[in-house]
Amino acid sequence: MAISASTLQRWSIPLLAFAVPLGFVVWAFPTGLAPLRAAGIVTGWLGCGLLLVSLLLMLREPRLAFWLGGLERMYRWHHLTGVAAYVLLLLHPLALAANAWPASRLLAWQTLSPVTESWPVWSGWLGLLLLMVGLATTFIPGIRYGVWRWLHALLGLGVVVGLLHLILLGIDEPVLPILAVATAILGWRLLRGDLGLAARPYVVAAARRLTGQAVEIELRPLADPVAVTPGQFVLVAFAHGPVYRGCGEFHPFTISAIDRDGALRLAVKALGDCTRRMLSIEPGVAARVIGGFGGLLGNAGAAPQLWIAGGIGVTPFVALLNDGPLLRPVRLVYLYRREDDATYLSELRAIAASDPRLTLQAIATGNDLPDLDRLLPAASDLSGVECYLCGPAGLVAALQRALGARGVAAQHIHFENFEFR
Amino acid sequence: MMRKLYFASTATFWIVVLGFWAGSALTPGVQQPAVAADRDITAAELARHATPADCWMAIRGAVYDLSPYLPDHPSRPSIIEPWCGKEATEAYATKTKGRAHSGEADAMLPKYRIGRFAPGGAQ
Repeated sequence: MAISASTLQRWSIPLLAFAVPLGFVVWAFPTGLAPLRAAGIVTGWLGCGLLLVSLLLMLREPRLAFWLGGLERMYRWHHLTGVAAYVLLLLHPLALAANAWPASRLLAWQTLSPVTESWPVWSGWLGLLLLMVGLATTFIPGIRYGVWRWLHALLGLGVVVGLLHLILLGIDEPVLPILAVATAILGWRLLRGDLGLAARPYVVAAARRLTGQAVEIELRPLADPVAVTPGQFVLVAFAHGPVYRGCGEFHPFTISAIDRDGALRLAVKALGDCTRRMLSIEPGVAARVIGGFGGLLGNAGAAPQLWIAGGIGVTPFVALLNDGPLLRPVRLVYLYRREDDATYLSELRAIAASDPRLTLQAIATGNDLPDLDRLLPAASDLSGVECYLCGPAGLVAALQRALGARGVAAQHIHFENFEFR
Repeated sequence: MMRKLYFASTATFWIVVLGFWAGSALTPGVQQPAVAADRDITAAELARHATPADCWMAIRGAVYDLSPYLPDHPSRPSIIEPWCGKEATEAYATKTKGRAHSGEADAMLPKYRIGRFAPGGAQ
């Protein structure tokens, strides 16, 4: 029986996260050892397997992202497997030392001691410390993205050093192929994702201010355009222009429209250093585009839909409305702080006036989270409705709770947060 | 949640590492395991114990019965097993690119000592 794409997308990452570490443990399972020593070895191999899966999940390849259920899902699991691997790898040396404790406390410390003059021990410590520092930067908010990504790269180095630790211990037989795979994944990500070998060349054709803090950028392809659909996002790196100074880094931007000639329009809100500079971007600036990724409404059926957008999160819905008339009834609840801060508001009002299938509920909320109970449709009106959410993480979480309290099952609530750290 | 897990696990790790260090520092002197009667063991007798199940090795003038330790050795068996029944000081001292085994290994060895190595001794 053929496996459907959605089943594969749903189960591919959990299966990988389960099968790879378990495969390593089955291959290297120690027999006849004391339980604590065996536990130390098992936690090491489980951590190693989870780190390999975590590395795979940081690749930014549209086809891989499709089969693994989307880039955002990959990033969620990348974080989950990375932290789980870290905890297991912390347990690994502690269990080995604990095994020696009953026989000799000195021997237990010798097992751990970083001052022991031995490369296998030094490399183990170095790998663990690199993971520790790399993860710490992930969990400390406020670090600039440009600095953060280099500190985060320490995690990749930590994986390689950790594998060298195994080779120095004389365990080279299964480790050399694992090291080759890990290095290939890191190199693939560096060359295609960070240095942009996977990117297609575009040029900024026009830039239009949407609000005081948002701009719509039109990108024209200089070669074959990327394959994208409305509702998706792309990763774009902008170069320098005559005045504009591009960051050169790839950042995710949601598409607001796809023209017939392959031109893309992107909505950009000034949320950081890079995006603030983009408010003054000028035509002629070169851009490199990778994608498309995601697909908030990728598997939408014929059921009526409720779209709820917060701020710039309205962009994927705008792209869908720009793509043509709606095929099903849609209620769009658009939440924004102030009217002069609301992107595409006049365009949405015009579409709602001409398309009877679209009901627009546009609400200025101020700076506080609105009273969602008052805004959302009654439970009886949500029966059989597919709900799509896009906006800040706090709003999406509150909406999930509110919809859940109205009896909407989790499988009928779809959302993207666009969190890529 | 993952942030909490990271900080809690990292803090716990360092507390346990400190605990191991304190346990070692507070141990009075080096605890040497009981050593069997220190008899002379010849090269011929050593060579009769050359299988993984019965594995003696001579290292730095002493003979060790490493049979119970072999399953614990981190490298694959083909690296250590050929040294059963042999004088293995050179292998012990040049494990990785000419570097010696760790202090952990040195601390572990006395537990397995069974006698002095007397290569030319009478049988």
